[in-house]
Amino acid sequence: MINMIKADLYRIFKGKAIYISCLIIIGLSLVSIIGLTPGHIGMTSMTNSTMNIEDAEFMEKLSDANNLKDIRDLMKSFGGYELDQAVLGTNINLYYIFIVVVVIVICTDFSNKSIKNTLSSAISRKKYYWSKAAIIFLICTFLVLLNNYLFYFMNLLINGKNFASSFIDISKTTLIQCPLIYGIMSLLICFAFLFKKVASFNTISIPFIMVFQLIVYGMINLFRIKADWFYQYEIQNALGNLANHPTNQYILNCTLLGIFYIVIFSIIGYYVFKQTEVK
Amino acid sequence: MNEVILKTNNLTKKYKEFTALDNVSITISKGDIYGLIGRNGAGKTTLMKLITTLTNPTSGEFELFGEGENNITENKRRIGCLIENPSFFPNLTAYENLKYYAIQKGIVNFNQIDESLKLVGLEDAVHKKFKNFSLGMKQRLGIAFAILDNPDFIILDEPINGLDPIGISDLRETFKRLNEEKKITILISSHILSELYAVATRFCIIENGRVIKELSKEELDIECSKCVVIQTDNIKKAAIILEKELKTTNYKVIDKKEIRLYEYLDQISKISKALTKNDISILGLYETGITLEEYFKSVIKEAN
Repeated sequence: MINMIKADLYRIFKGKAIYISCLIIIGLSLVSIIGLTPGHIGMTSMTNSTMNIEDAEFMEKLSDANNLKDIRDLMKSFGGYELDQAVLGTNINLYYIFIVVVVIVICTDFSNKSIKNTLSSAISRKKYYWSKAAIIFLICTFLVLLNNYLFYFMNLLINGKNFASSFIDISKTTLIQCPLIYGIMSLLICFAFLFKKVASFNTISIPFIMVFQLIVYGMINLFRIKADWFYQYEIQNALGNLANHPTNQYILNCTLLGIFYIVIFSIIGYYVFKQTEVK
Repeated sequence: MNEVILKTNNLTKKYKEFTALDNVSITISKGDIYGLIGRNGAGKTTLMKLITTLTNPTSGEFELFGEGENNITENKRRIGCLIENPSFFPNLTAYENLKYYAIQKGIVNFNQIDESLKLVGLEDAVHKKFKNFSLGMKQRLGIAFAILDNPDFIILDEPINGLDPIGISDLRETFKRLNEEKKITILISSHILSELYAVATRFCIIENGRVIKELSKEELDIECSKCVVIQTDNIKKAAIILEKELKTTNYKVIDKKEIRLYEYLDQISKISKALTKNDISILGLYETGITLEEYFKSVIKEAN
């Protein structure tokens, strides 16, 4: 299993994708640092609670701002807030970086059919599955740490203490987001073994979060379902809430939810892969 | 007694209603070069995929190096494979691709990569990316991968596809050398019967997922050897005459009008006399030898 991990690391760092992913993370961080606001994706919009700013009039002005310079000037006039925590609250953005990692670690094996070489004369399916999961966890953990701490230090350096929280707070948020982030990775690993080829995997995984939100929010509105629990624990909202001084009970619930995702998606992915015919 | 490398027992693979492999039982011993012969879709690749755990059998079992299929993980490194088309990472060079698999297999001495590439004649393409390889070069790299870890058993599915005549000849010698010098057992499939004949020591003919003939090279030579073709409209009586008058059972009934006799090769007149004396009308009587292709066709025809 260790050999498999070493071989994949050798292959991945020979390619360009991992370096491009790092550059994208750095680029997104710079945009947020210069604009003094976090970027975001998905159906849910950036709220003042994510940025922890209660002034509605100010938020309206911020929405009306046309360019990065205006936003930056506005934010500076406001005084300051924990920009790094707000950026960590939008860590769902990393979902798209994780897709790249899963593609280069698993889907290329299926698309190139090179998986046949490995399974026929190197290791068992069990070891293959868990090695791939371990490599993805390893690389994605590195990217999460790069994203969080690079942003923290760059933000501290460029924007100063008014827009930064403490190192301990950043570390705490990083830690409590981990179960949900590993849950996302497990979901993508499961998708990779379900859909196998790069094109199929991308078609499903790229719009997944937005389509999922669209369907659930649509159903909630259509049938007037009381779904506070969903708003609280939907993965994008949950990551945002975890970066916004959550209660211990909320942290515990999110941790359990993350573990549930890891277990359930790992079981589905492994079971499907075990039955799959490698073509 | 020779060590058994692979033993399959009623191995069956079904895809819904279609049976790709039907109760296949074969045994490959150490040192064999085992040639799998069959038409497209006969089940050769399915058999290889089952042995290499790329797919699961519907029923039946197999043993590799004496271990059941659930315990072969530890022995996987003793196998070298090339199943279907050679598949590698297009953006890596030949050397990088093999290095990836060398690390994966726990090979410490990377000189083996150069040796494998040299053995298949790819020493000049070491730093060329796989995506720029010709079909023949891809095939060679696939074979280099199969022999990378000095395996005890090599499984090669149509390894000479796309190779030029010199390449085919070189590889034939390589397979023979690996078999003779390193005692590597080889399971090889091919459509090119003459090439398979030139390299294999045992043969297995597969048709519609079933093994219809398993024979050694010596037995194949006998099957394809010279014979006297007797064409008559009374096969039964002709067979009795051969046994009673000519005292031989060394013949084979091919169809309703043809018997092949493997004795009396230079005594056609004697055969003719014996048959006409017993009022058997002779439609044809001549000496012949059959080619591999003819033999293959006749076996397939017989099975169907």
